[in-house]
Amino acid sequence: MINIIKNRYLLPIACLSFLVGSCDKNILDTTAYGESTSATFWRNGDDAVAAANAMYTLLREEDSYGHNENVFDNCADDIFRAGDHGYEEAMENFTMDASNYGVRAGWKNKYEMINRANAVLINVPGIEDMDETLKNRVLGEAHFIRAFGYWRFSVIYGGVPLILEDNIIESNFNVPKATLAEVQAQIESDLIAAVSLLPATHNSENLGRPNKGSANGLLAKLYLYQEDFDGTIAAGTEVINGPYPLADNFRDNFTPATENNPEMLFAAQGSDWVDNPQYFVTPRPWGGWDFHNPVQNVVDEFEDGDPRLEYSIYKPGDMVQRGPELTEFTADLTQTGFSLNKFTTFNDDGSLSNQANVPILRSADVYLLVAEAKIRKNGLGAGDDEINAVRDRVGLPFVSNAGMPELIHERRVELLGENQRHQDLMRWDKAGIVDIVEIYGEDRGQFDPVRVFVRPKNYYFPIPQNEIDLSNGVLIQNPGY
Amino acid sequence: MKKQEHLVFSFYLQKWRDLCFLPKFEIKHTLLLYTLLFGLGVYEGRANVSIIIEAIGQDPVTVRGNITDSQGMPLSGASVQEKNTSNGAVADFDGNYTIEVSSSNAILVFSYLGMQTMERTVGQNTSINVQLEEDANFLDEVVVVGYGTTAKKDVTGAISSIKGDDFKNLPISGIDKALQGRMAGVQVVPNGGAPGGSVAIRIRGTGTVNNSEPLYVVDGIPTANIDGVNPNDIESIQVLKDASASAIYGTRAANGVVIVTTRKGKSGKLNMSVDAYTGFSNVGKTLDVLDAPTLAEIKRERYANDGIPVNPIWQDAQYQTQLTNWQDALFVTGKTQNVDLNLSGGNDYSTYLFGLGYYNEEGIIEKSAADRVSLRINSDHKIKEWLKIGQTMSLSSRTSNGFNTTSAQNGLIWSAIRFHPGLPIKDSDGNYSSNQISGEFGDINNPLFEVDIQDADRRDTRLLANITPEISITPDLKFKANFGVDYTILDQRSFRPQVLNQIRTTNENSANRSYDEQFSFLMEYFLTYDKIFGDHRIGVVGGYTQQSFDYQGFSASAKNLPDEDPSQRLLGTGELNNMGEYKAHDGLESIFGRVNYSFMDKYLLTATVRSDESSKFAEGNRTGVFPAFSLGWRVSEESFFDVPFMDNLKVTGGWGELGNQNIDRLQYLARISRGQRYSLGLDGSVDVVGANQSSFANTDISWETVRMTNFGVDMGFLDNRLTSNFNYFIKDTDDMLLRPPVIGSQGSNPSPYLNIGKVRNKGLEVELNWQDTKGDFGYSLGANASFVKNEVVKLVSGTFLGSSFYGRPNQEISRTYEGHPIGTFYGWRTDGLFQTQADIDAHAEQPGAVPGDVRFIDINNDNVIDDKDREIIGSPHPKMTYGINASANYKGFDLTMFFLGVAGVDIYNADRMQGLDASYPFNLYSDITGRWTGPGTSNEIPRVSTLRTNLNHRTSDLFIEKGDFLRLKNLTVGYTIPSDLTDKIGLSRLRFYVTGQNVFTITGYSGFDPELGLTDGNLQQNVDFAQFPQARTYLLGANIGF
Repeated sequence: MINIIKNRYLLPIACLSFLVGSCDKNILDTTAYGESTSATFWRNGDDAVAAANAMYTLLREEDSYGHNENVFDNCADDIFRAGDHGYEEAMENFTMDASNYGVRAGWKNKYEMINRANAVLINVPGIEDMDETLKNRVLGEAHFIRAFGYWRFSVIYGGVPLILEDNIIESNFNVPKATLAEVQAQIESDLIAAVSLLPATHNSENLGRPNKGSANGLLAKLYLYQEDFDGTIAAGTEVINGPYPLADNFRDNFTPATENNPEMLFAAQGSDWVDNPQYFVTPRPWGGWDFHNPVQNVVDEFEDGDPRLEYSIYKPGDMVQRGPELTEFTADLTQTGFSLNKFTTFNDDGSLSNQANVPILRSADVYLLVAEAKIRKNGLGAGDDEINAVRDRVGLPFVSNAGMPELIHERRVELLGENQRHQDLMRWDKAGIVDIVEIYGEDRGQFDPVRVFVRPKNYYFPIPQNEIDLSNGVLIQNPGY
Repeated sequence: MKKQEHLVFSFYLQKWRDLCFLPKFEIKHTLLLYTLLFGLGVYEGRANVSIIIEAIGQDPVTVRGNITDSQGMPLSGASVQEKNTSNGAVADFDGNYTIEVSSSNAILVFSYLGMQTMERTVGQNTSINVQLEEDANFLDEVVVVGYGTTAKKDVTGAISSIKGDDFKNLPISGIDKALQGRMAGVQVVPNGGAPGGSVAIRIRGTGTVNNSEPLYVVDGIPTANIDGVNPNDIESIQVLKDASASAIYGTRAANGVVIVTTRKGKSGKLNMSVDAYTGFSNVGKTLDVLDAPTLAEIKRERYANDGIPVNPIWQDAQYQTQLTNWQDALFVTGKTQNVDLNLSGGNDYSTYLFGLGYYNEEGIIEKSAADRVSLRINSDHKIKEWLKIGQTMSLSSRTSNGFNTTSAQNGLIWSAIRFHPGLPIKDSDGNYSSNQISGEFGDINNPLFEVDIQDADRRDTRLLANITPEISITPDLKFKANFGVDYTILDQRSFRPQVLNQIRTTNENSANRSYDEQFSFLMEYFLTYDKIFGDHRIGVVGGYTQQSFDYQGFSASAKNLPDEDPSQRLLGTGELNNMGEYKAHDGLESIFGRVNYSFMDKYLLTATVRSDESSKFAEGNRTGVFPAFSLGWRVSEESFFDVPFMDNLKVTGGWGELGNQNIDRLQYLARISRGQRYSLGLDGSVDVVGANQSSFANTDISWETVRMTNFGVDMGFLDNRLTSNFNYFIKDTDDMLLRPPVIGSQGSNPSPYLNIGKVRNKGLEVELNWQDTKGDFGYSLGANASFVKNEVVKLVSGTFLGSSFYGRPNQEISRTYEGHPIGTFYGWRTDGLFQTQADIDAHAEQPGAVPGDVRFIDINNDNVIDDKDREIIGSPHPKMTYGINASANYKGFDLTMFFLGVAGVDIYNADRMQGLDASYPFNLYSDITGRWTGPGTSNEIPRVSTLRTNLNHRTSDLFIEKGDFLRLKNLTVGYTIPSDLTDKIGLSRLRFYVTGQNVFTITGYSGFDPELGLTDGNLQQNVDFAQFPQARTYLLGANIGF
């Protein structure tokens, strides 16, 4: 029997098994096609630059400057939220609770940006096959971005968990909030590092990356929020005296062809936005979604003959060139009857362009920061030069002996829609310069009704409730929420 | 059964019969009695037969003969046994047997799996040839299990089956849909009713928050889905539900195994058949929304309530004339047609089946469509006495076009409910009307415009084929191999034109194309050994299998195509937008073995083990061993078994372990991905690419393990015309792979999967079947029900699993918590509306509330209504799912009905929630006319406002509805022309029929369709986004046999 089996069957069975069976010995081997692993990356300068590039892409998301970062400024008295995001109503009116989507949206986005910067700071120093100048630039970019991430955290939430290189290496993310002072100290040291590492300017291929001026400008702002006027003046003067002049035309900053001119110290770079800030601010019938409408009160703020009104706001009767069409702007196009047009540009065929940057820090801002520091330090007239530099560009008469009212006016019209006003008002309120409760408590009609600002609760937004929940008691909510 | 008892029985029968004719009995009682009596009558006959078998013989006799099936094909391996002894023999390859029996009085019992057992008294014959008839009888039914078949009576695990004939010629695009409601423990949830749309199949509950689709095995080829296989090609489907039955597929069996067997040819003359049907479909229901005048009135009331000026557009008379019911405009009459041509036949050496099928469905929204062309070639060949080769092949090509109907931003049906009713479909210039008139109408594009510009199609091509050589080493020992290929190509293209005249503009036209390929190769070798040693019957199967999966594909898109004419929409004409390519590989390598042992046909044992290695895990963690066993006791075979009416009683019990490796590959690596783009330069024209870490590594990642315990009882009554099956199971998923919720400070990368979670499903499954024939009248009734309790036992400590948020308000609806089912609804509870300011003052502090607002309950009793007052407010898991089928035939007429239903389930009607929220600029549900307008006017529908101070439409129990339904899924009435007539025109069979699908639905649910499916994997289910509703379809069909 056994013999028969051998003769008759084993041969065909063996043939089958071996002919077909031997074809794929390594069936369990897999490869990460098109991807690197953390062990095979960080080889050279190209890898380092790619890692640095990935830090900026987060700025373009809807949770960041695509939209949500700008929602925090809806609280200002310049802007009505408009749009159709239900949760933004409570944010604008200070009735939000900690589970509001808007206070949660940007949290992860900013930490992701910070952690991409952390990854650069951990890995790039060890790359041997890399030009030292390039290495400095990349590390400087990472310090700047980490500082910028924590800067936004500090103004929105106050103290937050500080995630630095060691936290990444040890996978230690659930840590208690650092104090505001600790966060600010980290921002300061990162910015000082960035100032020393970053080049003063970039070649044309790299315009849009932060430079020395970006770091000094943000440092000037940080110091002003800390009421360190000397610090603001010192860092800000570096910008004013550096290769960062105001653009010839105010509107150059909001025109895609010239958007990275030297005045633009830092911006979320446009070009093919997916979550597009232009969509958010433009009237619906013109292809947008109609958020962030300016209100009458800020329109009235502009002096007669200030061209910045036309460059910032569409108002009824304005004739707007949309491609081949010259269209009249009418009040029914938006909810307040006005539209913020700083980010709105149109293509040749009349469609909405998605190329515009969202400016985050301009030299003009730094001029006014320095002016404010000088006024607050040295009194009336100390900031005239800087204020007048800003006014000169738009052909307005010079001010003299300017005090805080003039400075406040100038910041409001120069930086309208650039996410400054609510923070400015809170800074001045803390310094006793304005009464934010009174300003927001004023009844200015349907789109700027009475809103109750509670001190000190509303100086900060609540820490997102889901983060509190996930932290298992490690994260403590901000006071009052 | 003893004769005496039988007589006693007859006596009782007589009594019952007398009772039946008493007029005071209600009809249903009489029917019940007749039902019982049918059974008893036959029981009587059977008992008589059994008494004959009492004979004693003397001299040994040698009997020879041949055993064939009804077609004359030899039944190799058929068994012949001398009755009441252990003396037996097995037929050889030609069906010949030789047996020596004790005397000429001996009775020979001939049996073969799937055939009716036959008994012959030897008498003076020394040569007995028998033809065994195929057996439709329940108990001898053959069940296809992994790597073999077994008689249903020997099954010790939990297996449900249906025959292809049960769902033949129903208007379904895929087999998965055919499983709905047919088997206890198999829950099928359609993800909307779009043509070619997908379904979710859950066997014994949702076992994991990850992929919980079952494994399919089509003619021996394990695969992730059965898309493309023509439902009319199916011979039978078996669902292996418990661990003992499915452990032979170890790693991939945790969610159950669906074994699909396709039809084969039979030897005999060439048969040709044509099956064809055609029909139409329409939407079962539309939702009532406001007409234009009422809409304007309600919109104005909002402003009045808020004390702000009315937007002039709502006073413009032009938009207050009712012009269009957008749902009526959107839904059209769909069409369905199907033709199948089958050729089959064979001889002693070869059998074959050749099938060609065409299915086409045009949905109830224009351009929604699916079609399928399929070709099947199955054949079996006997090359040598010892060598057989079988093969199956299915080649199919499907196309489908669909719309987005699960978005509350721009879903098509969502839009149709909300588009302004005072706008025409097209204006007098022939242009589609547009909300560009006013932002007050909301940013929705004209839904019919969206249908008009829709240009997207996908084509799925699939080859599913295998070759199965079989070598008989001895009659008992066989070597088998299985070489299979599963090759799919998915080719998709789409084009979106520039849209400037609608409110949601598309600035640049764009064209997309993507091409995805999956090639899977299967190679299996195994031995089977079946032998009877006296009272011992043993079956062993064991072998080796490996399967590789190679994926690759690319995609590209272009924009600004200069010419939008449909003939010019090719990528190369535009500017390159982006492109991508990917490649990936998975592999599985396993050994498996199973032993079936039966002692005296009473005591049954099945033991299985499979050891798998999967490339999904890091080296060192790749191997998983999955054992299972089960025991069965056929109580009814015991001599002491003596229960009136009862013919069959089998109890089974089993336990086993199964694995799940359905997770993303390369989780054990920290990966860095390129592709994030940014732009630099003065004007932003310098594109740069970023690289960032896209995953965290978990080198310890390993299998999800399911441990399942099963107890079953099979019973047969009244000569097995009434059969029942009960199964109770406890299915514990351990080491469930979870991504611990990512703490924000970790960034936006998901956490790596960790083997942390536990889910328990336990439940009861019941199947009951009754079938009988009385003269020309035959009928059957079947019912099945399953009761499953789903509970998440363990998650990452102290956390929950969130899910996607709803629409414009970005509203959270579903959360998964420990101690509760997966994907429960999470929100506030309500207690009517505040009627007066006094009501508000008396209530916990609810910021911003005014009379007419919703009163939320202070769950945590802290006297403030806030987000801490949320809790679980409903579950999307039905307490019971059930199906009922009934069929009857009388002479040429046949009737089948199939109902399905669920009970004890909640739906979150998110569409209604937003449809009653007047703060949004859209049209509203007409229920808003019952809103609160002053004390006592409503306690349910809050006042209208442009503001959301009280967030009346937050996630709350106000929008939870019961999702219970009972649906007449299919109704078919057919008539077969008598054969003496069809013979004259040269046909062997001619049947005409009409079928209705989704004929009616009894439900209290107010939305389109209570079958909503999944909207975020398993983590969100039964949330109404205005999904594509299932159509009601009517068909006229014919079956022609030549």
